[in-house]
Amino acid sequence: MTTTSTETTPVIPLPARAAAALTGLGALATAASAGLSWTWTSDFPGDLTYTGSPAGLQWLALTAGLLTLVLLLAAHGTPGLHWAAPTRSHNAVLLAATGALAVSLYSVTAISAELGGLANLEPGGWILGAGGILTVLGALGLPLDRRTHVPLRILDRRLFLLVPAAPIGWFAAHAIPGDKPVAPVMTALAGALAIAAGAVLLIQLGHLANTWLRLGTVERPLPAPRQLPSWVEVLLIVAAFGLGLFAITFGIDTEYGELFTGYLLLAAPVVAALAKSGLIARLRALTVKYRPVTTGAAFAAAASFPFTQTSDQYTSVATNILIFATVALGLNIVVGLAGLLDLGYVAFLGVGAYAAALVSGSPASPIHVQFPFWAAMLTGAAVSMVFGVLIGAPTLRLRGDYLAIVTLGFGEIFRITMLNLNGTTGPKITNGSNGIPRIPDLQIFGFDLGKPHTVAGIELGRFSNYYLLMLLVTALVVLVFARVGNSRIGRAWVAIREDETAAEAMGINGFRLKLLAFALGACLAGLAGTVQAHVSYTVTPDQYTFAEALPPNSAFLLAAVILGGMGTISGPLAGATLLFLIPKKLEFLSDYQLLAFGAALIVLMRVRPEGLIPNRRQQLEFHEAAIPAQPTGEPTALTKAGA
Amino acid sequence: MHDLPQQLANGLILGALYGLVAIGYTMVYGIVQLINFAHGEIVMVGGFGALTAYLALPGGTTLWLALPLMLIAGILVSTLTAVAAERFAYRPLRNAPRLAPLITAIGLSILLQQLVFSFYPDAKKARVFPKIPGDPFSLGSVTIQRSDIFLIIAAPLCMLALGWFVTRTRSGRAMQATSQDPDTAKLMGIDTDRIIVMAFAIGAAFAAVAAVAYGLRSGQVDFRMGFLLGLKAFTAAVLGGIGNIYGAMLGGVALGLAESLATGYIQHLPGMSLFGGGAWKDVWAFVLLILVLLVRPQGLLGERVADRA
Repeated sequence: MTTTSTETTPVIPLPARAAAALTGLGALATAASAGLSWTWTSDFPGDLTYTGSPAGLQWLALTAGLLTLVLLLAAHGTPGLHWAAPTRSHNAVLLAATGALAVSLYSVTAISAELGGLANLEPGGWILGAGGILTVLGALGLPLDRRTHVPLRILDRRLFLLVPAAPIGWFAAHAIPGDKPVAPVMTALAGALAIAAGAVLLIQLGHLANTWLRLGTVERPLPAPRQLPSWVEVLLIVAAFGLGLFAITFGIDTEYGELFTGYLLLAAPVVAALAKSGLIARLRALTVKYRPVTTGAAFAAAASFPFTQTSDQYTSVATNILIFATVALGLNIVVGLAGLLDLGYVAFLGVGAYAAALVSGSPASPIHVQFPFWAAMLTGAAVSMVFGVLIGAPTLRLRGDYLAIVTLGFGEIFRITMLNLNGTTGPKITNGSNGIPRIPDLQIFGFDLGKPHTVAGIELGRFSNYYLLMLLVTALVVLVFARVGNSRIGRAWVAIREDETAAEAMGINGFRLKLLAFALGACLAGLAGTVQAHVSYTVTPDQYTFAEALPPNSAFLLAAVILGGMGTISGPLAGATLLFLIPKKLEFLSDYQLLAFGAALIVLMRVRPEGLIPNRRQQLEFHEAAIPAQPTGEPTALTKAGA
Repeated sequence: MHDLPQQLANGLILGALYGLVAIGYTMVYGIVQLINFAHGEIVMVGGFGALTAYLALPGGTTLWLALPLMLIAGILVSTLTAVAAERFAYRPLRNAPRLAPLITAIGLSILLQQLVFSFYPDAKKARVFPKIPGDPFSLGSVTIQRSDIFLIIAAPLCMLALGWFVTRTRSGRAMQATSQDPDTAKLMGIDTDRIIVMAFAIGAAFAAVAAVAYGLRSGQVDFRMGFLLGLKAFTAAVLGGIGNIYGAMLGGVALGLAESLATGYIQHLPGMSLFGGGAWKDVWAFVLLILVLLVRPQGLLGERVADRA
């Protein structure tokens, strides 16, 4: 058992007033620099040359500076700002300051790297950089919640052999004449060695920093909230979702990679800071109190997204995010609730899409029928479910691991079969690799989803129509997830996930419930597939692979569930949004995207296996060692016998 | 049906390849109950290790000299990769919930593929692997490619060596004990961590042998070769009864035979004329897996074991 005692001390010993003044000054400088010109030329994307009119990255700096300032003032108990930091934690200030530093350092580096040197910075850029550094220095001098003692972890000493090995490898690679066929291989090996050595040093540096900072994970008690009239509380929820919509819209609408990187760099510390300050806990308490209002506000915010857009460009991105997120949520029933690892889930999306495409009336479909949309949807969902039962019935009776491999095989076989049903290697059904093109747009009650419509003076394009349709499907899946998850069936799933033997001893029919989860998941994916077929005009086998650089594919779907948090509704939605936007926006990553993805999965499993928005139960399960032992009056002999 | 002997021979050779890879799955699974999804990529890495050795040798080296060196390099690379993966990716998760190491394995599999894809020179496309030169042998109506000779010799040798190791040596018996009951084995003074590393290492060495055989057979290695090969080999391991090393080899041979017979004869069945040939062989292998799981879920040589919680 480990007990961690904590203290509230600064990391850098500064007089309290000086530290606060320094933080405030830095935050003000960061925010104020947004109004100045950062660079002299408009070559840097976003045109940061104007004074008095913030653009692109400058908005991020302004946000970071102001948020740090507000949190600082609130932590010091400034009258009128108590709401901003209910816990009055200075750690929240430090986190926000880190966000300011990240944005300022990133902006300064990006500008000087892309334009060639620090000389390209205008005074505004210098103020920004100085502001970011001062903010963090000052914040380190604030009274922070820290652990009293953190032992220094040193990596396995043998790993440090990599450090001298890296330069030796480098010389060895250069010693080989360049015309030998093996030379490029040796260079690549030397590079790998250098990266490994760098990683070892970096991790060790991280341990050193951790021992020095000793920042604790103390949860400060949340004081009881002030009594507000209920209409104010409802308004607060609506305002929070409005703000959330604004933040997400900003992320989707970023036009260049630099802005999106800055956005991510700011978003992570800001969310952490808001969590530390207690604001997120406050909001959560409100949402629990007014659940119907919350659900309504969330969907209203999501539905108003197309109205914030001037063109269809980003609505198509949002539609695809919605499809990806919905399928991830369906997978979360299978993986998160029932604990069944499905590695070929995207195939069920494909089954639904192909079924819908075949009955869509596309001229390329061998079945010359055109089902109305509701019938096509039911067909897709039903066919998908049938496949789910066919795959699940033989495998779900066995140990869970078999399911993983059978679903992986099914995903691959689905793709191969769709490729083969092309008329030469099999019956002509799917046109092989050409897929089924020219899927007509949907007509629902005479409403043509392919044509722009004007609602309240705002023109909604084709993708906006599909976005709204897809949102209905998402709502349905959320509803199913919430209702089933909280029912007798959902509790049985969780019991099976935790311990199948014990669950069966309690009278749960494990096989039937697992099959139900699997079939339900397949059915929901098929449902999403029917919409996807119409959104993308064409279905081809290559859209449904195990791992590909662009989502949705089985590996990314699984990653969305795990990154977001297994067993929750908001987790996979957030995870899917991130996993869709990151490859889409950061195109410079494109060559190394899957590489980073694979590495991230491994690191995530070691560091935060419960995901970004964890289910409370799962979080405890993954961090059993960190739970302080409960003081019990029971004699220990009894507990031992019980175990 | 006149080409039946040829199909059988093809099936046996293919089956030996699957069996070699399946050993890696079955040994790791037998000891830590983990499906090492990255094992297919361990094969691939071994193939590239062997290729590197071939490239490093002066041009014109006879294959009789090159082959052993390639084999050593391949084994070295794949074993190091597998042991490092065990140490840094799997071991920290040994007591984590079941899903965590499986996901790590998927991440590792993607990572290894992409490392080779991005950093091995010219690995974006398949790279040429040497073949044993010369005409194929003919035995009656059966022709065997010269390159397959390697596999025909290596696979039984490897199996015999493994059989001897597991039953006759101290470490091998420790391995059996660990797979039966790790906790008791630990109490008996067996260093189970070492045994687990050993299982990974032996599996990886066999994987490298399989990779060289695969390269010789098809004349190329590519960064994606591990995925389908791994999937098939896992199918073979399940077919033979997972956890049983003889089962893995038997399952491999059964799968290879089934695949080659399906490729050759399915189109002659009534109503199936469009489902034969090489394009459908993976589908039939998979259908076989589902059928086996339906009829005999413990596999051909496996015993029905109670689920350990």
